Amino acid sequence: MDENAENNGDQANNKAEETEENEGELSVDDLRAELEKIDIEVPEVEISEVHIQQEDAYAEFPMSYKENTNKEKLILAYAENFRRQYVHLYRDRKPLLLNPVNECGIEKFVSTTIRPTLLPFQELYGYDNCAEFVADYLEFQALDPPVDLPNQLVSPTTALKRQKGNSFDFATLLCSMLLGAGYDAYCVSGYATREICLMDQTRDICPLMKKKGELKSEEKKKEVRKYQVKPPKDLRSKFDLKMQARREAEEEAKAAERRKEEEARISELEKPKPDALHGLRIHCWVLVLSGKREVPDSFFIEPLTGNTYPTEDDKFLGIESVWNHQNYWVNMQDCSNGCKDLSFDLGDSAKWEYLLHSSEKPSLEIPDVEAELYEGLDDDEEEQEDERHLEMPPSWVHPILVTPKEYETRCPLGKKTILYKKARLEKFARYLLKDGMITKLSVYDDYELRNLLSVKEWFVNRQDKLELRVHNHRTGLITEYMQQGRLDCMKEHTYKSGSPGPETDRTMVFYDKARVDGLVKREETPTEMMEHFKDRDDFLYYRHVVFSKRMKKFGASTDANHRPILKITERFHRNKEKIAGEDVSECVFHISEDRIQLTFHCEDKRVTASTREFIKPPNANDKSQTITMTPDMTSTFQVDTTKKSPKNLYIYNMLVSLVEAEDQSVQAIRASEEEIKECLLERIREETVSELSISVYDTERNEKAKQHRKELERQQLEEKLRRQEQELDYLAPFLAQMGDPEKIARQQAFKLKEDCLADLKQRLIDKANLIQSRFEKETQELQKRQQWYQQNQVSMTKEDEEEYLAYCSEAMFRIHILELRLNRHKEMAPHKYMALEQKIRTDGRLSDYF
Amino acid sequence: MSRLYDTVEPAVIDEEMLQKAVEEQGPKDEAGRIAKQEGIDFADVLALRLDFKNILKIDNLWRFTSLTKLQMDNNIIEKIEGMDALVNLVWLDLSFNNIEVIEGLDKLTKIRDLTLYNNKISSIENMDALVDLHVLSVGNNELDQLENLIYLRRFKQLKTLNLNGNPFCDDPNFKHYVIAYLPSLQFLDYRLIDENTRAAANEQYTYPIQQLEHNEEQARKRIEDQEAKETEFNLHKGAYVENLNGSALFDSMFADDTEGPKLALLPGVDELLTGYKEKYTAICQQIFEYGLKEHQRRGDEVSGFQTAVDEAKEDNRNMGMRKINDFNEYRRKLFTELAQSSDQAHIDTSLEQHNKEIDKLWDGLMALEMQLVDQLEDTIKEFERNMADMVSTFVENVQALISQCRDLENTHNEKLLEVAIVTLEKMVKNELDDELPDDVRMLFVDKDTITNAVGASHDLHLLKIDNKEDDIITRANNWLAALMERVHNEEEVKRNRHRVSEINNFIDHLREEVETFEIQAA
Repeated sequence: MDENAENNGDQANNKAEETEENEGELSVDDLRAELEKIDIEVPEVEISEVHIQQEDAYAEFPMSYKENTNKEKLILAYAENFRRQYVHLYRDRKPLLLNPVNECGIEKFVSTTIRPTLLPFQELYGYDNCAEFVADYLEFQALDPPVDLPNQLVSPTTALKRQKGNSFDFATLLCSMLLGAGYDAYCVSGYATREICLMDQTRDICPLMKKKGELKSEEKKKEVRKYQVKPPKDLRSKFDLKMQARREAEEEAKAAERRKEEEARISELEKPKPDALHGLRIHCWVLVLSGKREVPDSFFIEPLTGNTYPTEDDKFLGIESVWNHQNYWVNMQDCSNGCKDLSFDLGDSAKWEYLLHSSEKPSLEIPDVEAELYEGLDDDEEEQEDERHLEMPPSWVHPILVTPKEYETRCPLGKKTILYKKARLEKFARYLLKDGMITKLSVYDDYELRNLLSVKEWFVNRQDKLELRVHNHRTGLITEYMQQGRLDCMKEHTYKSGSPGPETDRTMVFYDKARVDGLVKREETPTEMMEHFKDRDDFLYYRHVVFSKRMKKFGASTDANHRPILKITERFHRNKEKIAGEDVSECVFHISEDRIQLTFHCEDKRVTASTREFIKPPNANDKSQTITMTPDMTSTFQVDTTKKSPKNLYIYNMLVSLVEAEDQSVQAIRASEEEIKECLLERIREETVSELSISVYDTERNEKAKQHRKELERQQLEEKLRRQEQELDYLAPFLAQMGDPEKIARQQAFKLKEDCLADLKQRLIDKANLIQSRFEKETQELQKRQQWYQQNQVSMTKEDEEEYLAYCSEAMFRIHILELRLNRHKEMAPHKYMALEQKIRTDGRLSDYF
Repeated sequence: MSRLYDTVEPAVIDEEMLQKAVEEQGPKDEAGRIAKQEGIDFADVLALRLDFKNILKIDNLWRFTSLTKLQMDNNIIEKIEGMDALVNLVWLDLSFNNIEVIEGLDKLTKIRDLTLYNNKISSIENMDALVDLHVLSVGNNELDQLENLIYLRRFKQLKTLNLNGNPFCDDPNFKHYVIAYLPSLQFLDYRLIDENTRAAANEQYTYPIQQLEHNEEQARKRIEDQEAKETEFNLHKGAYVENLNGSALFDSMFADDTEGPKLALLPGVDELLTGYKEKYTAICQQIFEYGLKEHQRRGDEVSGFQTAVDEAKEDNRNMGMRKINDFNEYRRKLFTELAQSSDQAHIDTSLEQHNKEIDKLWDGLMALEMQLVDQLEDTIKEFERNMADMVSTFVENVQALISQCRDLENTHNEKLLEVAIVTLEKMVKNELDDELPDDVRMLFVDKDTITNAVGASHDLHLLKIDNKEDDIITRANNWLAALMERVHNEEEVKRNRHRVSEINNFIDHLREEVETFEIQAA
């Protein structure tokens, strides 16, 4: 350690004294306990005490886990030296975590325990998902006692395997992953509140319940135009207004006060109980510095929960040291005010005491291990002058591996429950539950989680595209949110949990773009139905139906017993192709009164709209009869008095089309009712089946793909076997004859060659003979038949002759083939012979002699 | 296939024939009864069929103004005429007639489907007005020039064409020619043109078509340029500074000046003129730019005013509509209630209340209208004041600039006079170096003549300048007057009367309805 460091040390001493005083004010006992602790010269780390867990068979660990390389020994010695000087200089400071033992009982330097790894999952490239994964994957074990540093720090791989660990294990794993993903991340050893240290989130609001930053729609102030008309004169009494404003202000103030009181009461209620060990509880978390990966500001990640906090957060009470895979820094700043005023400029040696000199800029020189060891132990200053720096040895930890299955299962056993303030959050692995639920959030009214307010359930991979179900226990309303892609295009469905059947209160929202009829929303009450449409060709945007009580029908009727319709109201958007005075804006069919009321659109510059009313002719609904009209059946109000009234023909046509429109509307309503019924039936069916869809890319679960892959694998295996068979050794029988000698002598080699070639020759000759003999046999046979034919030619029947001819042509064909084969054999035999000779010559075992 | 018309008496389109056709082809059943009862207005008829009537002359159709479909096939019509009133026609069938020339279609801009099948037409022409033509049938005619088909290239919407049975159909290249030259075509002789044929045709006529397209492109460009120039000129005209962005005014001063050119021949005047022209044109340019700027400002001012007024009107209208809607809601409830009630006293009080509500509505609507009138009056006053200021500033500035022109002219005149005198003296002394034309020489008879000539030229120039000034000022003032007249008339008077009468009409209607209800109740 150089002089600079000592100076710093003095400053730090002073600071430490200040800290001491502050703490002394807090509790004398604490101070005493702390002072006693500091007096211990060398915190003995006894390997025998380290508890090697039985479940991890010691033999299974790789060698690097079980012993130290020279470089590692060097850094350990260096760290030990650093620690000694540190303890010597700062007697009042707590010990540092430098060389804890690993799971095999071997001392390892903390920086080498970090193994930067980028896991092959796209989601784990971002820090938030990394943190969430670590928090989910490992089970938390509190430090015992909470005020002492752990004496064991297991490797990230072992932590992953055991799926449990303390905050140091969490932080080491997370830091490894973040460094692998390119973040400038550090493990931080320090002090935090009880809630953080014990992963107690019951005082936090569940992140799923936090409202998204409400977009403040900045109301654009209407720019005052030059010719803005003046507002009408305000004729109210100014005094009255003033008095009213005063009264309102008073009330407002009162309300604010009440709110404040209420808030104070709540915060009092929620305040954590005083903690006797406040400020002493040791914790380890992760610091991400700004700069790399476009991180704008430095922040903390709490690895137990995966939450991020700003570095000023008051939950983190102090920092002893930070380290990454390259270096180790001790905090020299005053932490009496938490982490609020800390500077995270690690290059500033007045604020951060480094362990290794310049690992930021690794020197090109390859350090001489022996000399380094010698110098490093004896004379540090000389080492500094020589500018030969100690380098951090590579990590002893094997790469971190997470299989896709493990990644998907996440939490131990695929389940995890977190308690928040007035809420319980349950997480499940995908495909774990039959209904595809992955997250369930129960919100309660009280802190003891007894009075259930609402339940939110998130689903994935559901075949019915259900995404989220919200059950509000106060109102009894259930709202289901679906993704796009359902046959009925449903988007949201709200209904009362008590009455799921049709003709009750419900609201259905649809993906209107996907529907032919452009339906956006359908609301239902026991006696009414409202439908909202969008972008329809007929400009209809709203339909309201009033039903009356269903009549009781006697006897078996074939057609469905519909509720009678009392009134239908339809509203239309403006159709620009028509004149406003002829474009219907609202059409009311009073079906029970046989009346039709029309309201037309208002002309652009008018305030009143034309209306027309029809009384439906008695026989209007009878298709077989033509509709008759008399002038007294219609009455009208026309806005434009100058326009002449339309012709009777026009009005008659209007009536006819209205009667038709009414019929169509009724049909549409019946269809809607039918659709609701079908929808509900379908929902019930889907809910009972609750099948989960499996992506074609999911190789684990997609049975068909799995089979296909297995088949491919099997084929490959077979292919491999066959190839092996083919590659049988051609020299094996001859070598066997010689008794498989280890080394082939010259004599033997020649003999081998001769034998081998002779054998081939013999086989070739044999083969030639075989073909020859067959050829001859075939020829003889043919000759025989020919002779026989010539003798018996006269007495032959036609059939026999044909048989003979067929035989002849066949025989000729066979002979021809044999001839060809023979020729080819003759041609090929020398080549084969040569080839074998060549092969023997180049054979590895005989190459010495040829 | 012409029918001889001496065998049958040619018919005339008369009232009787039209009436009969309209009735036959009109609505049926109950609707027909009603229609007959009140009579059919020819102006309402949408489709008319006059086939196999042996008609010789198209006539008496001027009353069918909304007709969209007219069938006059299988007659003996010789000339397309008398159809200028049928501007809404979409579908026209004149097949199987004796037409020789395509004509008389200039007003039928909406035609999509035109059938001239089986006539005696020998040339496709006079159809420029039919911009929306989709279907054309000119089969069985006497078309014999393939080049004539290029005329059809102007119909960008033409999809279906029937040419079968014309003399040029015997040409082996006929099909390819048509397909290549009319790329928008999809059906030829009612058959779909397949891609292979089209490709082959295009290949065959690649070069001539490229040439043609090039020419068309150029023609199009020329027209566009022309139009662009015209719009620009109109813009300048709107700013009252047309032709000031150059030497046009300067040139016009010398155009009618008989003495000017002669004087220009004097030694030294040439340079004088060049300098003069330069300065003069610069000032003109100044006026021009200033004029455009002011025009823009005036336009912004007017549109700002208009949007503000429109907004105010819209707000007011919405308020009025809200009032009426509220009232309608109230009325609807009341009437449903009254319909079920049988208590006469209750009905009476309710109606009384209703009448009061009507009065209240009237008051409310009228108050709104009066408020709007006040608001608009103020705004219009302000606008008028601002506009008047703006125009007068414009006029003053233009005057200032023009007086600069006048000063230039005066200086020029003095210099010219000087030169003239010097020349005269020289001439008298016979010291003139270069020869002058005789007519110029004539000016130097004596001092008076030359002074008069220079003076006349000067006067003429000043007159031109004065005229230009007057022109600009008058037009600007006239524009302002017209604008304010329109604003006052439309925004204040007309709108107000309209609204008031509308409100009264509505209120009357409401009262009437109550009365009928009372009668019914009684």
